[in-house]
Amino acid sequence: MEALNALFSVGFATALTMSNLLWALIGCTLGTAIGVLPGIGPAATVALLLPITSRIDPTGALIMLAGVYYGAMFGGSTTSILLNTPGEAGSIVSALEGNKMARAGRGGPALSTAAIGSFLAGTVATVLLTLLAPIVADLALKLGPAENFAIMVLAFVAVSAVVGDIPQKGFVSLFVGLAIGMIGIEEQSGQARFTMGVLELTDGIDIVVIAMGLFAVGETLYTATYENKLSARVEGIGKSIWMTKEDWRRSWKPWLRGTLIGFPFGTIPAGGTEMPTFLSYSAEKKLAEHPEEFGKGAIEGVAGPEAANNAAVTGTLVPLLTLGIPTSATAAIMLSAFQQYNITPGPLLFDTNPELVWGLIASLYIGNVMLLILNLPLVGIWIQLLRIPRPLLYGGIVVLATMGAYSLRQSWFDLMLLYIVGLVGFAMKRFDIPIVPLIVGLILGPMAEKHFRRAMTISQGDATVFLTRPVSLAILSVAVLLLIGPPLLRSWRKMRRQAGAKVM
Amino acid sequence: MTQWPGRHQAYLAIGVIILGLIMAFQITGMSAGAGYARVGPQFFPSLIAAGLIISGGALLLKSTRSLGHADPTDTQGDEDVPAVPEAEWRGFVLVSGALIAHMALIGLIGFTLAAWLLCYGVCRALDTQHRVRDLFLSLGLGLTLFHLFRLLGVALPAMIPGVL
Repeated sequence: MEALNALFSVGFATALTMSNLLWALIGCTLGTAIGVLPGIGPAATVALLLPITSRIDPTGALIMLAGVYYGAMFGGSTTSILLNTPGEAGSIVSALEGNKMARAGRGGPALSTAAIGSFLAGTVATVLLTLLAPIVADLALKLGPAENFAIMVLAFVAVSAVVGDIPQKGFVSLFVGLAIGMIGIEEQSGQARFTMGVLELTDGIDIVVIAMGLFAVGETLYTATYENKLSARVEGIGKSIWMTKEDWRRSWKPWLRGTLIGFPFGTIPAGGTEMPTFLSYSAEKKLAEHPEEFGKGAIEGVAGPEAANNAAVTGTLVPLLTLGIPTSATAAIMLSAFQQYNITPGPLLFDTNPELVWGLIASLYIGNVMLLILNLPLVGIWIQLLRIPRPLLYGGIVVLATMGAYSLRQSWFDLMLLYIVGLVGFAMKRFDIPIVPLIVGLILGPMAEKHFRRAMTISQGDATVFLTRPVSLAILSVAVLLLIGPPLLRSWRKMRRQAGAKVM
Repeated sequence: MTQWPGRHQAYLAIGVIILGLIMAFQITGMSAGAGYARVGPQFFPSLIAAGLIISGGALLLKSTRSLGHADPTDTQGDEDVPAVPEAEWRGFVLVSGALIAHMALIGLIGFTLAAWLLCYGVCRALDTQHRVRDLFLSLGLGLTLFHLFRLLGVALPAMIPGVL
């Protein structure tokens, strides 16, 4: 087992150094905190940390950012269960049953099953990541620029068509992101694109400004406009935080099923954690011994989706590390963290930066243990965070956002961009337009252009190269299928329904 | 004409199409030649401009479909336009005002005071019930961040260097 050898000889040796353990702890703590706090998510936090991480070594920085990423998933469940306002998209489902449990005085066991399920799923998914990643990386080495471009097209289509309520909105979001990504000097020709003669735009718009604008400023504008009257009640833990024997018996199968549902969803570019958590919820509802308890606080409905959520998050690291393809907003911003160090995630990463990659994977095992401790015995600390008054919380978030934007160049220009992007984020939230495609398009767009150009150079300007290479053709076919499949299916069903109506 | 529920979404879609057209117009003004292997700096942006126009058009089509939606058996159309709670523009204006004042003043009055103003503005926008408390806590936040980052070696603009 080459992978296990690398994990133990290189990975743990790197991750267990004092400084890297500290980075992991900081990341996990920060991640849990922002997961608990409504209004600021992992994507915005990772973006806000980018300027700070550029001062520390890449391995430590990425270990910390990864800690933020999955720490937020652990913390998000606390908010869902006790406050009924999900902090993260992946925690929406946990609120359904979890909050009911909390209201019935069983908040403790709900938090327990979420945390233990997340730990179990995270650990199993990390084992799968350890075993799978080197294999995928080996395969990916055989891919040329044409195939890489095809994979990016697939990621674009999948993220836009699957996330959100209708695909049209996903694609609007994607193309807006791609357009923003084009702003600035084009590398090969030196041509300035879409800068409108503004000097400040020649370097493009910084990802910090985009993420803080969309997530922090947009969110605050939306809350101030539409959700001012909303009041939330914090539920207590109840008698005990620990689960009873019965709770354990009812939880372990949903944990495992959730893990198996979540991990593959994370690895494919279908964007995020909503789908696997919903799937896990409906699976548990069907398989439950007491389906009548669903909607009234069934522990299976917390255990399964929470496991699925964490497995999916770990799953997103497979395409990120082996192909350099992010499938969620946070993964996309982590990709730009790699780029900040001139490291290109992808198949070569395992050869060129083994300490970084294996250290990062090893830190996931350690981080999972840290998070379990942070989220179970210490859950009381995080509950205090829920008592921060909302006006001050949002005030603080906006101040941090402006600070992040201003510190880039000490210029009010970035503050203006931040506000404009915030207006875009406000509109997107108002019209239910998903943000993930925009972020993925923004980060992957320039890379896709490079691969496209390389492929065209190799084929001497022959665009059919994308269709004559079998792997590229296959990937593009899947993309087309994803694009036209669902609408075809819908109209076919409609036709059948109408035909049926006529017969009756 | 009666107002149909998808009209705001339709305006948005038209905005996206206009954005695509602006991009297309700017591409025509780019001077660099065809580039290597026929792929110049204009090629990829052209695809994106086309994508904006097409996806905006598709969204416009979807929004206008709810126009005259009289067929009650077709439930598909209703989910196109999500129900939106009533807007309170007072909050929006206050947050916007606080942000604009912040960007205009940060160079003049320094980080701490600008952050105080911004944080308190957001508190008022979110209808705080504790105005006096939040006034002090907002100032506390600005001061804390300023000195924290001063210790970390990150220079933030100050009115009185090293103090606020």
